[in-house]
Amino acid sequence: MIPRRALLAFGLLAMAAASPAGAKPHVGQPAPAFQAVDADGRTRTLAEFQGRVVVLEWTNNGCPYVGKHYSSGNMQRLQRQAVKDGVVWLTVVSSAPGMQGHLTAPQAKAWKAKTKAASTAVLLDPTGRAGRAYDARVTPHMFVVDRNGRLVYMGGIDDKASSEPESLKGATNYVTAALSDLKAGRPVATPVTRPYGCGVKYGSAD
Amino acid sequence: MMRFLAGLLMALATAGAALAQPVNTGHLETELVAEARGVAPGQTIHAALRQKIQKGWHTYWRNAGDSGEPSKIEWTPPPAGWTTGAFVWPTPHRLPVGPLVNYGYEGEVLLPFAVTAPATARPGETVTLSGTAYFLVCEEICIPEQGVVKLSLPVTAGPAPADPKWGPAIRAALAAAPKRAGLAAAFEKRGERLALAVTGPALKGADLAEAYFFPFEPGLIDHAAPQAIERGPEGLTLTLAPGDEFQVQPGPRALAGVLSLGGAAYEVAAPMGPLPSGAGGLGPPPAKSALGAGSAGLGLPMAALFALLGGLILNLMPCVFPILAMKAASLAGHAHEGATARKQGLAFGAGVVASFLVLAGALIALQAAGAAVGWGFQLQSPPVVAGLALLMLAVALNLSGVFEVGLSLQNTGSGLAGRGGVAGAFFTGVLAVVVAAPCTAPFMAPALGWALTQTPAAALSVFLALGVGFALPFVAVAFAPGLLARLPKPGPWMDAFKKALAFPMYGAAAWLVWVLTQQAGADGLARILAAAVVLAAALWLAGAAQRRRLAGGRSLPLAAAAGALALVALVAAIVPRYALATPGAAPSGATAAVPYEPWSPERVAALQAEGRPVFVNFTAAWCVSCQVNDRVAISRDGVAKAMAAQNIAYLKADWTQKDAVIAAELARHGRAGVPLYLVYGAQGGAPRILPNILTEGTVIKALEAAARS
Repeated sequence: MIPRRALLAFGLLAMAAASPAGAKPHVGQPAPAFQAVDADGRTRTLAEFQGRVVVLEWTNNGCPYVGKHYSSGNMQRLQRQAVKDGVVWLTVVSSAPGMQGHLTAPQAKAWKAKTKAASTAVLLDPTGRAGRAYDARVTPHMFVVDRNGRLVYMGGIDDKASSEPESLKGATNYVTAALSDLKAGRPVATPVTRPYGCGVKYGSAD
Repeated sequence: MMRFLAGLLMALATAGAALAQPVNTGHLETELVAEARGVAPGQTIHAALRQKIQKGWHTYWRNAGDSGEPSKIEWTPPPAGWTTGAFVWPTPHRLPVGPLVNYGYEGEVLLPFAVTAPATARPGETVTLSGTAYFLVCEEICIPEQGVVKLSLPVTAGPAPADPKWGPAIRAALAAAPKRAGLAAAFEKRGERLALAVTGPALKGADLAEAYFFPFEPGLIDHAAPQAIERGPEGLTLTLAPGDEFQVQPGPRALAGVLSLGGAAYEVAAPMGPLPSGAGGLGPPPAKSALGAGSAGLGLPMAALFALLGGLILNLMPCVFPILAMKAASLAGHAHEGATARKQGLAFGAGVVASFLVLAGALIALQAAGAAVGWGFQLQSPPVVAGLALLMLAVALNLSGVFEVGLSLQNTGSGLAGRGGVAGAFFTGVLAVVVAAPCTAPFMAPALGWALTQTPAAALSVFLALGVGFALPFVAVAFAPGLLARLPKPGPWMDAFKKALAFPMYGAAAWLVWVLTQQAGADGLARILAAAVVLAAALWLAGAAQRRRLAGGRSLPLAAAAGALALVALVAAIVPRYALATPGAAPSGATAAVPYEPWSPERVAALQAEGRPVFVNFTAAWCVSCQVNDRVAISRDGVAKAMAAQNIAYLKADWTQKDAVIAAELARHGRAGVPLYLVYGAQGGAPRILPNILTEGTVIKALEAAARS
């Protein structure tokens, strides 16, 4: 069993090596591997969550679209439900130092506590490496990876491309739908949607 | 009285409308403005949401691109029967932010929309349309802003006069908005890309260099990916990177959006299906001048000027110098006969210009015939190279004094080394051009590329300028007695000088033999060396015959033998087909320091799909600047290390022999010749073109940048 897991991990790493930044992520194909330090200083990789469903949420605490989902408690609700169902929820910050939304580890911890976020971890990606590997373009940009490490959803959090809090009413949440599909063993009905929000504040140098 | 009151009310209302202050929402000022001072019952006029955006900030188009949100108005329900239409969106601008590209507006923008009054509207009443305008205003950060906007419109019995300020502005905005021009359009998947073809009268003959497709909806294309332009007789084909929505089956079945040509813009609706004909085949639009003209098109006068400068520079090129050395000797011989010098200078100039025009004409004809050739093609044919090598050898032997060129020979035109007479000067000019051609490519690529995509007349005038520039120094020397007088007086030194000048010619012959070896391998080398030995013997015999004739002896048998041997050498060198060396099979000696693979478009695509940065070197054995770049800038330890460290693939496209695929790729980048250096970033997209003169530092910097982008 252990060798098999190791093999899988090795396979994922090999895949990551074979498809570095540049190859855009494709639904139905292995999700791009990444490595990032979380708010507690631990190095996290996608490979360590092999066998579990993983949600990736790109965030920027200064972005009004992110604000809509956090101020209303919508994002935290989603996180709590998902984590309760055994899903790994990773919130990724790809803002470069000096750019809007950039967080240091202590800042990320404080932000997580303040917003009562229920995500598994907040990953710090100041170089934008993980963000670029996923072609994450906006905040919030959402990705769902199934138990086999395949990307099964990418796109918006819901179908209301607006920063107005009222737009949450009656919105169809695509991440909830994708997680329900996975839970029921169905293929994800809507695997690709249009992400909306603020552009990810990548460093312009790279 | 009533009418007076109504009129007064109307005036007040108009004044009120005019006084409506723009709302400042934080980073923009906004207001509703109308093209007319009122609206008649049943009439439709246009109003507009005006945005005056703070410098550095922008708002968005109907498709915001990678991020952002379009501006919108949420209307409070208007009075019964009144309707407002959707925005007529002006053509947006591309707004790059880091690696993302958004579509939107900066500065001041009007978003026009239609307002229709019901037929039941009562003249004299004033209707106020109001709503909340929402904007996402972004600089690097984004701020959603909103403001209540109002438009008061008096109902007038007949069409109201235009608003003096906003009437023309709104009509101009409507006139500039993308038009439906009855364009035929379709798209198809081509491997990992989408080909969008658009044809129609509006595109015929239009300047397509700025063409860009803005899709109405996000998710259809990768907004940040560059759009390669291929022109056709009836329109164009854009190569687009598909957006996320093509990842699901069946995927989008149509691409609708705006095709912008920089100025004019057209609405396009392209279903998936067979592409309309005439949308491709003419290559990319001419490259914007790489010589510093910026993004502005390289106009004919500028191109001609560059061509003239390029021609002047050619005089300094190593493959021209030997000819010039020869010509210098010739001028020195006539330095004290002004009229002769002038005549010779002019003849040389005429030879140069005529050759450029003939070459250009041939190139244009071949281009028109669709032949895959490029500038410098004459040195891609082994028989031509072999013939030139022998010619150079003959010229060198002549300068060495092995034989003299008689007037009769000279006048046949084969006496290229003839140092006397107008015909000799003319053919010296011709020879200079033939040998100079490969050198023109690196310097003149932009102008040549431009010229080759223009009308034949424009192309010919550029070549004319090139020729004039090339010939200018010598014609000037011929006409400036002051310069001529400074030339040393004829004397015994001239013979030594002439003999010394033989060595550049031997060098040129050796270089051509080396080129031939690159093309035809060791067998070709053996043949050309054998032919060279036979030719040398023939010319020695010819010289002997000349000396015997001068001494009054019988020279005919010797001359005949010389002629026969020369013929044998020439035939041996030129007639049998050269077995072409396989490209890439024999890396040329010193350049093996940095390992490379042969270039192919497929290989580039495959490497890009792997996410590897790619460095492509378009080179040719006969291209001197390519070889220099290779030695001083590419085949270096530092470059090898950078390539290994960044996992960069090095591909070489060897154009020593004719190759249609390479010629097409050069044309795609607006070039007619080598060298061309392309660096594809790890993130894919269009390659970066490196300068034609490289340093090791430039290459390493470009490679490191490519790994990061």
